Parts: sequence; structure tokens; C-alpha cells
Amino acid sequence: MKKMISGKSIVKSYGKGQEATNALNHVDIEISAGEFVAVMGPSGCGKSTLLFALSGADTINSGEIELDGQDLSKLNENELADIRRTKMGFVFQQPTMLKNLNILDNIILSSLQDNKRNAKNITKKAKILMKDTGISELEDRDIAEVSGGQLQRAGICRALINEPEILFADEPTGALNSKSSEEIMEIFSAVNKNGTAVMLVTHDAKVASRAERVLFMKDGKIESQLSLGKFDEHNMEDRINQVILKMRSFDI
Amino acid sequence: MYRKLIINDIKKSKLITITITVFILLASMLTSLAAILSASLFASIDGMMENAKTPHFLQMHAGEIDMRQLSNFAGEQANIENFQVTSFLNIEGAEIVIGEDSLAGSVQDNGLSVQSERFDFLLGLDGNIIRPTEGEIYVPIYYRKNGQASIGDSVAIHGVRLTVAGFLRDSQMNASMISSKRFLVNQADFEQVREFGKLEYLIEFRLTDPAAVAALEAAYLLAELPANGPPAITYSLFKMANAIDDGIMIAVLVLVSILVIIVSFLCIRFTLLAKIEEDYREIGVLKAIGLKTRSLKQLYLAKYSALAGIACTAGFVLSLFAKEPFLTNIRLYMGEAGGSGLGIAFGMLGALIIFFVVTLYVNGVLRRFKRISAAEAIRFGAPREKSKAAKGFRLSGSGMISPNIFLGLKDVLLRKKLYVTMLLVLAISSFLMIVPQNIYNTISQRNFMTYMGIGECDMRIDIQQTDNIAGKAEEIAGFMAEDSDIEEYTVLTSYMFDMRMTDGSAGKLKVELGDHSIFPIEYSYGRAPQSESEIAISGFVADDLEMGLNDTIALIACGQEKILTICGIYSDITNGGKTAKAVFDTGDGSGSVLWSIIPVRLQSGVTIDTKVAEYKNRFSYTKVADIDDYINQTFGGIADAVQKVSYAAIAAAAILTVLVTLLFMKMLLTKDRYSIAVLKSLGFKAADIYIQYLTRAFVVLILGIAIGTVLANTLGELVGVGLIASFGASAFHFAINPMFAYLFSPVFMAICVWSATRLSLAGISSLKISEYIKE
Repeated sequence: MKKMISGKSIVKSYGKGQEATNALNHVDIEISAGEFVAVMGPSGCGKSTLLFALSGADTINSGEIELDGQDLSKLNENELADIRRTKMGFVFQQPTMLKNLNILDNIILSSLQDNKRNAKNITKKAKILMKDTGISELEDRDIAEVSGGQLQRAGICRALINEPEILFADEPTGALNSKSSEEIMEIFSAVNKNGTAVMLVTHDAKVASRAERVLFMKDGKIESQLSLGKFDEHNMEDRINQVILKMRSFDI
Repeated sequence: MYRKLIINDIKKSKLITITITVFILLASMLTSLAAILSASLFASIDGMMENAKTPHFLQMHAGEIDMRQLSNFAGEQANIENFQVTSFLNIEGAEIVIGEDSLAGSVQDNGLSVQSERFDFLLGLDGNIIRPTEGEIYVPIYYRKNGQASIGDSVAIHGVRLTVAGFLRDSQMNASMISSKRFLVNQADFEQVREFGKLEYLIEFRLTDPAAVAALEAAYLLAELPANGPPAITYSLFKMANAIDDGIMIAVLVLVSILVIIVSFLCIRFTLLAKIEEDYREIGVLKAIGLKTRSLKQLYLAKYSALAGIACTAGFVLSLFAKEPFLTNIRLYMGEAGGSGLGIAFGMLGALIIFFVVTLYVNGVLRRFKRISAAEAIRFGAPREKSKAAKGFRLSGSGMISPNIFLGLKDVLLRKKLYVTMLLVLAISSFLMIVPQNIYNTISQRNFMTYMGIGECDMRIDIQQTDNIAGKAEEIAGFMAEDSDIEEYTVLTSYMFDMRMTDGSAGKLKVELGDHSIFPIEYSYGRAPQSESEIAISGFVADDLEMGLNDTIALIACGQEKILTICGIYSDITNGGKTAKAVFDTGDGSGSVLWSIIPVRLQSGVTIDTKVAEYKNRFSYTKVADIDDYINQTFGGIADAVQKVSYAAIAAAAILTVLVTLLFMKMLLTKDRYSIAVLKSLGFKAADIYIQYLTRAFVVLILGIAIGTVLANTLGELVGVGLIASFGASAFHFAINPMFAYLFSPVFMAICVWSATRLSLAGISSLKISEYIKE
């Protein structure tokens, strides 16, 4: 399988001198194209830091990160911005929408940046995504007028509008109730089925069980991993149990 | 605890603290400066006029005077404390040679005087009464300022050689606007040159009750005492003339400090609200654990009181240094009065007032603490903005607008309240830039003289203080009719008429007769007289008579009463300002002729200087003036001063624009860090975000300039009228320099806003997405 992202000996530390703490302590990681990877671990273990580092949204102190064969550390801010816009999608725990725009405008914003003249097609695409995620009636709404679950769906639509190769999700269900959470994960599974790689950070075993591979982190290191194979609804129960078992062995 | 809190807070927000401190400091410095200067100016004027014992009433007269008649008059009037007649030996400017140069180009009436005996003393620069010895001459301070004379220069008057021994302050004629200047010599030297000049008398009175000068003026005219010179001048007019140049400067200072105070308040309000918003959750927590609103307020008030205290003290101290250059002119002309202590006390008071006003204002802004609900503050962490997305304005339907410009526009539309501060400051800046420039442009326009009661012409001939004025005017007019260089001319002759007042008493009125349509002036109200039954009066006369348009005036002309309807009111700075204009025929009423003037417009291509010289030569009994010289020498000083002020105002506006844009953009960035992180995560580049902020800044700038320009042309014109009215003209319109007001000023402001925005956004490329989004 084609390599999507590979990180070698990634170190990210906060603070200086003796007080410095390593959030990422020589982490090696690889994610293939179209793969669904979940990262789990206790608070402060460095899982979000890893996500931000791999996506180029944060700088690292040492190590090497390649995306599609490109060394991220050699790219400047503008080149990174281009990659974020064309190859990556982001979904965060709190829906990071711009207050000034309605739902539809939030979704199409980044896409319009490259294709001003194509606004019609982009809007059409956004409407299809909204329909697929079940929020087609919300396009004109203000972001203050919809629920958290709906906002998170809109966030996914926004992340998908540029047809990214990889979707980064930092606890996307963290602020949702279990029903909404389940619905959101259905969407992630569907997205992955269509060939988009997903890297997802979560606390929730149920959420992680949808991944092909679950990485367990502790103190800035990947301690272990669990391969679950391609997602299959029928053995969901079993997958969850496997994740929970593994978690227990790590005191998570 | 306060100290620690304040210091920590200042460390965290250096730029904001510095900007606010600078504004308060400027406000306090300007206020203190204006207070010090006004106190010094009036103390110096009072001091000089007291030392010089300036007359309360002065009438000039050329020709014979009957001393006994005057003495009798002085004896009869209970109000007269002292009375004297001094001599003024009027000498043609060309006959006074200082060093190498003569005063031929001077528009002043120059003359010699000896020191008075009883009052109206000419003072030395040390404030003492000068007693010149033989061979010494003391020159008016005006010529030192001009650089036309310095100590030790030799002065030749008709071959009599004198040496400049010093300069003198003349409490009557110091100001450049007063068109006579007295040189002081010894009695013996005076006698030597007596035959070369034209002797005029200054008939002067000191009163026991100076307030009753109007009654004396009326009595003087009624008694038909000698009065063929320019109209009577009173103590208050002398005082005003002395105050005008520096007074205008102080008025401008006051104006600027008011603007700075407004801007300071806007900035304080803006930063304070932003700070409250930033600390919202903490305020909620403090409230929740039981802190009283008052204690909370004190936390914030302490910081601003400390800042205001430091800034006001520093402002006051700076004003003590800044006052020096401003005071040099006052000291030179009026001398140092013991008022410096008083001035400093006033300055301190000014700074103190600014301090209290600032603390009161901060206290007022902090009143909103009461409205903060602890629960809500803790839950939401920020005041809940009632922002209604402008529904009609959608990115999906915005067609060709780039998303960056769209986002910028939308932000301004949605958060209007936030941008009001910057809008107001930019409007003020643009106002500040345009108004002084417009005032300068207005008074430096050639036709400005028409607002001052002078028709627009190239050359003007004055025939006065001589016999057979009418005949001489006719002779000149006859010569002009043949002169092919002259395009147009007219003879305007002023007469003194008796006037019957509405209460039956008698009065006097100077009326200029002739064709007023050839060299028209601007009328504040109404228009020029056209028929025999119409009369136009100057603003001063209208005030004196308490009359307006369509009222009637009864004049006694040619032995009969003439009822004239007032058809126009104009501003006049000539001849004491109390004049009237009419077109009726006097028949042989030549007995009351005061003077004639002949304004001339030359054919294009004719050199004015040559023509002036030719007429001076041919008609030696007249005064021939190049009107541009006249205007230059009379208003040039004021125009220069206003020009300097306008440059200073441009600089101030630029600093204001840059500082406030910087401050505003920095605050905005702090507020918007989260949105910027989101945009970056979506793949927006620093340059994109920069365009968004520049769009916001320019939308506000364009609106600000529009408001500022409209205000400048309306409110600013009123301010300008007020200022210019203080030296005589009223009811005029701004002459706007379109290149400046509509091109230079907006472009300059745009450059300021652009650079400040650029500078304040320098940090966005290093802003990390993870810092603001990571959970």
C-alpha cells in the first residue's frame, strides 16, 4: 500500500532547558493511503500533539515527517497552507466555525479560495455533502442556531469539500452525546470507504473500534498497537472488546 | 496587590499601555500648554498696557488743533482722568533708510514720536520707559521681528543720521495688524526732521471708568472735536490687537487638545472594553466568590488612575519645556509679566483636570460590571454578542468577490460597534488634516480680501489728510482715464454724515459713496447698495445700531434728511471697521469729505510695481499701494502661522492614524486569534488573512475619510469662520484645495493605515494553529 504519511523519530518538547518536557519522544509512525488509524491514550500523552505535528499545523523539534514523499520541515508557511487546503481535512472536538458566516459559507470557504469562478459547482458539491451528512436543511443557518452534532457534521463537510487525501480528526465526538457520536462515526466510516485516509484521536473505545489500526500512546511514545482489519459492522462488539482489553493492559 | 496587578498587566500589553499613556500625556500637555500660554499672554498684555498706561480712548487728527477746546472738553467730562495730545510725525517710508534699505515697501504708516509726558509711554524691552538721548532712535519691535533692523544700525531720515539704540514696545501699535508704527527719538532730533514729515496728533484720554468709553466717544463726536484721522480706537481694541496673533495660536492649541482628548477617550473605552472581554471569565469567577462590583472596579481603575497620574504629570512637565518657543513671541512683543507663576499654576490645573476627567471616564465605562452575570460569564467566557449574520450577504452568492475581501467586508458589517472607535478616530484625523489646510487656503486666496471689506484690485490709491480731496481724486481719475495700462478704476469717497438715531439723538456715520459694483466685496447678508435709497453697513455698525437688513437709517445729507434702507451687511477691517456704503449723490457736500480711495485693476501684463512707482511719483500727495503687498504684510503673518499649524496638524493626524490603527489592529488580532487559527487550518495563508484585515481597515478608512471630509466642510467651516471672524471677517466659505482635500489627504491617510496594518499583522505568520485550537 502507498505510504501517505511517515514520521521518523519525531520529538516535540515544551519549555526550555531542564524544565522541558517531551510531548513527543522519538515517535515513529506510518499511515498508508486510505488507511483508518485511531490514536488513543491518557490525557497529556501527546496524541493531539502527534496529530498537529503530522499535519504540519505545529512545528517539531527534531525528526522527520514526510507527506506524500514531501519533507514537511522543508516547506514554508505558504506551501504548508497549500497542502492543508488541497490534501488535508481537519475536524476538531469543538466545531471551529467562523461566527460571521452561515453554515453553507463556512463549508465552501476554503474551496472558493482556489476556484472563485467555480462557486456554483462548489456550492453544488457542498449541498451534496450536506445531504449525505443529513444537514441539507441547515445551509442558511447561523452557526449559533444549530446543535453541536449538526455543527460537527458541517465541520466534516467543510473538511471534505476539497476532497482531501487524509482527514485529521481530534476527538471529533468528544463534545457529543452517544447518539450523535454514533452518527458522526458512521460518516467517518463512509468517508474512509471512499478512499480517504483518516487519522483520529479519541478517548472512546467505541469510536476507536471503527479504525483499522489503533495506536496506544503513553508519555509521548507509541507503546503498542492493535490491528483490527477493515471495518465490519457485524463484529463491532468484538472489535470494541479488543480495544478495551488492550486499553486495560495499558492503564488507560 | 494593586501594584503587582498593574505591573503584570502593563507587561502583558505594552503597546496598548504605551498608546493610551501617550494620548493622555498629549492631552494633558496641550491643555497645560494652552492654559500657561493664555495666562502668560493676558498677564503680559495687561502688564505692558499697565506699564505703558495705554490710553482708553484715542483719536488721530491731522491739521490744526485747538488745545483750549480740547482742554475744555476734558474738563467738562467727569469721566476723564487724564488727557494729552502727542505728536506723530508721519514720514514717507522711502525717506527712512535703516542700514542700506529704506522702508519704501512698507505698508505701515511710519513716524517719529517723542516720549509722552503723562501716559501712553513707549517701553524698552526691559519694560522701562525709554528716554532717548540725542542721536539715538528706538525702533518698533515689529522691525526687529522682520529682521529689518538691529541694534547699532544707522538710520537716515532725510539726511539726519541716527543710531538704533534699541527696540521699543508700543502698547498701541505693536501688532502687525495696526498699520501705524512709532519710532522714538529725542526732542531735539524730532525738531530737526519736523519739516520733512507730516505732523499728526494723537488725542488721548485716560478714563476713571474705562467701561464708559462709548459715552465718551459719542460726546467727543458730538462736540465736533478734531477727528479727521482714522476712527477712534479704544483700550479694548488695543488689547485685542495685541492678543490676536498669539490668541489664534492658543485657539488652535485648544482645538487640537479637544480632539486629542476625544481620541484618548475613544481609545480608553475601546481598550477597556476589550480588556473586560478578555477577563470576562475571571470577572465572573471573582463575582461568584463574592467580590463586590466596587472592588472589581477598583482593580481596573487603579491601573488607569496610575497611568493617568503618570501621563498627566509628565504632560505637565513637558509643557513647561514646550512653552518656551511659544512664549518667545509673547515675551518679545509684550514682555515678561510676573505672571509666569500664575501661568504654571493654570497649567497644573489644566493637567489636573485632565487627570480627573480621565478617571471619571474610566469609572463610567466600568459601570457595566454591574451588568455582568457571574453564571453567564463563567459558562460562556465572553459577553454574548448579539450578532445577526447579515443574511443577504452570502459568500455562496457573492459572485466575483474574493473570499478574503468578502470576509473582511462581512466582519465590518457584523461587528459595526467594534469598528466605531476606529471610524471616529479616522474621521477626526481626516478632519484635522483638512480643516487647517482649508483655513490656510481660504485666507491665502486673493479674493479673501473681499471678505474683509476690500474690493479685489491690483493697486489702490488713498487720498487722505490733505486739502481738496475731491479735486485731487478727480485729477487722478482724469489721468487714469487716459492711461491705457488701466483696465478699470473707480473713485470711492468717504464722508462723515450726521445721523438721526431712532431715539431722536444724533450720531455720526462714515459713508463711502461711489460705484460699489466695479470692485465688489462679499456681503455677510444682503447685497451692495444699488439705488439712492439703499445703504450697506459694516458688521460693527450693525452691532452698534442694533439694526439688520431692511431697517432704515436717517442721514442728514446736503441739509436734508435722507431715509435709507439697509440692503447689505459686510465685514470690514479697514478704518476701524465702522463704515457704510451707499450710492447717493451729495451735491456739494464736499465739506465733510474724509478721504477718497481709487482701486485700480490693471490690464494683464502690466507690472504692478512699475505702475505703483509711476503713480507715487506723479501724485506725491497720495498713498499708492500694491494690494498684494498690502495683503501680504497685513495677513501674511497670520497666513504663515496658519500654514505652520496646518503642517503640524497633518503630522498630528498621521501619528494619530498610525497609532490608533496599530492599537486597533493589535486588539482585533488578539480577539480574533481563534478565527485566524481556524482559517489557517483551512489552508489560508498569512497573505490571505492580511488581505482580510486590510479590507476591514480600508472599509473603515473610506467611511472615516468620507465623514471627516463632510464634517470638515460643514462643522470645520464653522470653526474656521469662528477663527477668522476673530480678526474681522465673517460669513465666508472655505476655499477648498481639491488636490489636497480629495487626493493628497486621503492617499496620505491610506498610506498611514496600510503601513500600520502591515506592521500590526507582522505576527500572524508565526501564529500557531495548535495553540488556539488544540483541546
